[in-house]
Amino acid sequence: MQETQTTPSLSIPSRSSISTPDRSSSVGQASSTGPQPSKPPAIAPPVKPKGRSSGAGVRRMRRIIAEDTEWSLAIVPLLTELCIQHIVKNFQNDPILKQLHPEHQKKVLSHLPPDLPLAVTANLIEDENYWRRCCVQRWPVCHVDEHGGSWKRMFFELHLEKLLKHFIPGTTDPEGILSLLPLCRDYVRTIRVDQFLPPVQLPPAPRSGDQSDSGSEGEMEEPAVDHYQLRDLVAGLNRLEELDLVYGVKDCGMNFEWNLFLFTYRDCHSLAAAIKACRTLKVFRLTRSKVDDDKARILIRSLRDHPALEELDLSHNLIGDRGARAAAKLLSHSRLRVLSLANNQVRAPGAQSLAHALAHNASLVSLNLRLNCIEDEGGQALAHALQTNKCLTTLHLGGNELSEPTATLLSQVLSINTTLTSINLSSNHIGLDGGKQLLEGMSDNKTLLEFDLRLSDIAQESEYLISQALCANREAARQRAPNPSHFMSPITAKGPENPAG
Amino acid sequence: MNPPGSLGVQEDKEEEHLSTPILEPSVHSDNPQERIQARRLRIAARLEARRREALGEYLDGKKETEEDQSKSYKQKEESRLKLTKLLLCGTELVTNIQVAADIRETHRRVEEEEIKRQRLEKLENEVKTSQDKFDEITVKWEEGKQKRIPQELWEILNTQQVHCAGLIEEKNKLISELQQELKTKDDQYVKDLKKQADDICLLLERMEEQVKSVMKTFRQELHHIEKAFEVERQELLTSNKKKWERALQAHNAKELEYLMNRIKKVEDYEKQLNRQRIWDCEEYNMIKIKLEQDVQILEQQLQQMKATYQLNQEKLEYNFQVLKKRDEESTVIKSQQKRKINRLHDVLNNLRSKYNKQIKQFQEENQSLTSDYKRLVMQFKEMQKAMRHFALIDDKQFREIWLMNEEEAKDLISRAFDVDRIIHTHHLGLPWTAPDFWFLKNVGPISQQQHKSATQILEEVLMQAEEEKAEEAASESESYLELPKQVSAKTTRKILMLLCDEAGFLIEGKLLSLLQPLEKNERYLLRLDAVFSALGIETEDDLYKLVHFFLKYQAHRSPPIQMSPWYLRLEQTSLVSALEPQELLGLGGGEGSLAEGEPPGKEPLCSPLLIHPNDVLKILEAFVMGLRKPRDLRAPAKLLKVARDDSKDSEYWKALSTVIPAATLSLWDVLYTALEKYHLILTQRAELLIENRSLEQQNTELQQLLQQYLDSKINTQLQVPPTQVFRVPTK
Repeated sequence: MQETQTTPSLSIPSRSSISTPDRSSSVGQASSTGPQPSKPPAIAPPVKPKGRSSGAGVRRMRRIIAEDTEWSLAIVPLLTELCIQHIVKNFQNDPILKQLHPEHQKKVLSHLPPDLPLAVTANLIEDENYWRRCCVQRWPVCHVDEHGGSWKRMFFELHLEKLLKHFIPGTTDPEGILSLLPLCRDYVRTIRVDQFLPPVQLPPAPRSGDQSDSGSEGEMEEPAVDHYQLRDLVAGLNRLEELDLVYGVKDCGMNFEWNLFLFTYRDCHSLAAAIKACRTLKVFRLTRSKVDDDKARILIRSLRDHPALEELDLSHNLIGDRGARAAAKLLSHSRLRVLSLANNQVRAPGAQSLAHALAHNASLVSLNLRLNCIEDEGGQALAHALQTNKCLTTLHLGGNELSEPTATLLSQVLSINTTLTSINLSSNHIGLDGGKQLLEGMSDNKTLLEFDLRLSDIAQESEYLISQALCANREAARQRAPNPSHFMSPITAKGPENPAG
Repeated sequence: MNPPGSLGVQEDKEEEHLSTPILEPSVHSDNPQERIQARRLRIAARLEARRREALGEYLDGKKETEEDQSKSYKQKEESRLKLTKLLLCGTELVTNIQVAADIRETHRRVEEEEIKRQRLEKLENEVKTSQDKFDEITVKWEEGKQKRIPQELWEILNTQQVHCAGLIEEKNKLISELQQELKTKDDQYVKDLKKQADDICLLLERMEEQVKSVMKTFRQELHHIEKAFEVERQELLTSNKKKWERALQAHNAKELEYLMNRIKKVEDYEKQLNRQRIWDCEEYNMIKIKLEQDVQILEQQLQQMKATYQLNQEKLEYNFQVLKKRDEESTVIKSQQKRKINRLHDVLNNLRSKYNKQIKQFQEENQSLTSDYKRLVMQFKEMQKAMRHFALIDDKQFREIWLMNEEEAKDLISRAFDVDRIIHTHHLGLPWTAPDFWFLKNVGPISQQQHKSATQILEEVLMQAEEEKAEEAASESESYLELPKQVSAKTTRKILMLLCDEAGFLIEGKLLSLLQPLEKNERYLLRLDAVFSALGIETEDDLYKLVHFFLKYQAHRSPPIQMSPWYLRLEQTSLVSALEPQELLGLGGGEGSLAEGEPPGKEPLCSPLLIHPNDVLKILEAFVMGLRKPRDLRAPAKLLKVARDDSKDSEYWKALSTVIPAATLSLWDVLYTALEKYHLILTQRAELLIENRSLEQQNTELQQLLQQYLDSKINTQLQVPPTQVFRVPTK
């Protein structure tokens, strides 16, 4: 019961932090204003007050009872205490930790100020409590779970993220980031950057009014607006597993310019080289960055035969059929498990090529094609592919202009396929007959746990019956799985996906 | 999954457990009937349990427990369902916004596309129409150029201007339209933004609401569940309390009972104790007296014992002394024995060394003896060699002496014969015939000439075939006179050749290869030798038997008519050969090939032809079978022939000495006496002759003297001459 309670409570702030940019930016600002010593260093010997408080204790503590009635052994701090105090005080110049007794190590760590230079602490201190203090001091909202439960990793990831977010090409010194590299290379596994600042242009102010009208002029200056080149950084991080990038600017307000959101070809090439060189990368996300077909192809080509890549997310871009075809090729040349092309411009041909790849694929688990326009042709092709595929469990085809023919094929798939657990066909025009056919297909299926058919012109009756069948399936799945949390997992897993819209 | 449920079950069980002793018959009951009942029930319960287990009624049991499961479980299930529903509904509610936005977006996209398409169409149409108009205008420009009249030109220009203005106006209109559209789009965009912001707000609201409601409901449900548990717990508590109280009451009652019993028992025991005490006192006194008596007795005994102890001590001391002495003795003996053992060990060692020495000695002796033995054997061999050598020499000497003696004897014999002959012819005037004895012809020592070995025969046969050319036939015929059946040499030879060719398999391969370089006859000889040795033919008898066998076999096989001429022929040839050595020479040398045309040469040739080579083996087989038996008997006799047989020697010599028969000797004796007499007579006669002669001489001398006397003058002178007295003899 506790689990169910904790998971939503944790997921709520994460949603809010992502969905409301104001708050996260305020975090950044707060951190950028500089660290404020919120926690007063309590190094005072803890025995002292205790000795004074209890008279009996004093009696016991006083070994020599003489004229000096004030004298007590408790007043004199222990030598070890003094040493530890000294070590803490001079830690920046003379870090002594490893040589100490474990007990003293603990004491030293608990008394260290969290604003020590990273060069001293990064590779020396492993203690989570210290890093936790550092994190709490710098960021008011901390989700350790998103960083593998390690405060140290979280600290470095967030630190690096902040540096990257505020990096301005041409003005900021790239050495500032690269100098951090030897300190954080063993700890950083994820880079999530949702803004890349363009280089500062000297005359932006007078022309800003003109440029806001037409974005055409921005393209002329494209070579000048390259963003930070991730290549060196990514090459240095030997444990990097996740890259989550958005080439865009946050909180531009009235300073909006089209070229603030440009993902240039040079950026694209450098990013492609970076991810190609990074052999440990598992998750690659590049969203809301105006990636068109050509750039998508460049990126995907660099990912071909990547040894570790499992998830590719290119949602909210401008990818068309050619990019989809490249992604389909990638499917057969990698071990991709999750592919998301949500909110792109994939049409029937792209969906067909994806379906062709899907028919013989044995690794892809999740495919998201939300808000594309694959229409019935693509939908039918995908349904045909699903008849042979034995691996895919999640399929999102919401908002794809699908209608009855796809539904008929999908109902056949439902009666055959035993791996699919979640299908989303919301915001389509499936129609009454299609709904009935899907209901028929559902009656033979025992594995599907989720089937979203909202706003798809289906009769309420069939929707209700389908939901009944789903309930039965879920109950059966719950019975099959010994773990009671199983039936909760699809719902919680769905959580982070939803707020993206 | 449901620890409270299982807890409840446990509690239920506990309850059952608690209730059983009250309700059901107990095994520990005092009533035997009840005990039996209880046991029966227990067995039945066990069987039931086993049956259930066997049927695998896990689910059944679960169902049962579910039925039994208390409110808490139900509440839990209920709240779980409720919560899942709530969660699903909540997520649906939240995601509804997204879906709605999605569908709006899709609609917008569709509309946008449509509008875009329309706009494009419109623009294209516009372009087309404006192009047309522009074309018209340009055409009119051409027209205008042709105009010469200013009025018209002006008019045209005016119209052109109007047209151009129209065109521009249209374009402007289009532009304004587009701008209008853009504006509306902007408005739309702003609206959309607002809408989206609203959506997001709504979403947030809903999410928060959702979170709140979920938390609330979760709390509520938790509360409910807790309440349910509480209630259940309360129930359990009350029931347990009741049970507890009941049990306590029972316990108290029992306690009271026990207490009463105890008091009673205590009293009883006190009484018993008192009784016991009195009894014990009496007994104690009794025992005391008795024991005192006993003590006295024992003291007496002690005194006695002390006395005996003294005695025993002395005895033991004496014994100890004796034993000590014995011990000393035994130590002495022991040392002696030890010494003895040592000595014996020494002896044993000496003997062992001696034994080893002797073994060595004997070994050496053995070696020396073996070497001696070897030497002796060598010597013996040498001796044998020498003996053989001496035997050979002896033989030779013997032969030489024999020959010498024989020669001498023969000389003597011949002289005797001469004398005999002279006696016969001269003295007796009888014709003398030379006596013919076998031993006269003998030259050299008598040997086993009769038993020639087969090989020798062979050699002879073959040699004869060779020699035939040069040698006279007589010798051949003479040698073959010995043959019992008078089989001709040639036939024999043919048969032997045949045998040699056919029975080649009996010869060893090694021998054949050795024979290759030899000349033909010798080769045959050796081969036949080998064949015969294989067949077991050793003596000439065997050989002749063999030949005979062949011939007989042949005769048996072929018609006798054919056989006889050949036989005759053979006889003839053998006879003829003596007379006509030339012819024989041709026959023997050419082996029939030269004398093929001649009839006599043809005949013997058919003999090997008649005996078919294929039959040879059969014949041989039959022969060997027949030969085997007699052969076995003769085998030991053969060995004796090595020693020379000198039984006949004395005979021979005696015969030689008695070459003149006794009759002749007596004759000679008589003759001798007669001759003696004759000689005597002759000598007398000779004497007489000599006397006669002397007398004659005297006569003549006397005559002469007479004559002289007569012739003398005296006579004439004499008155009467004597001459007148007597007559002179005239001779």
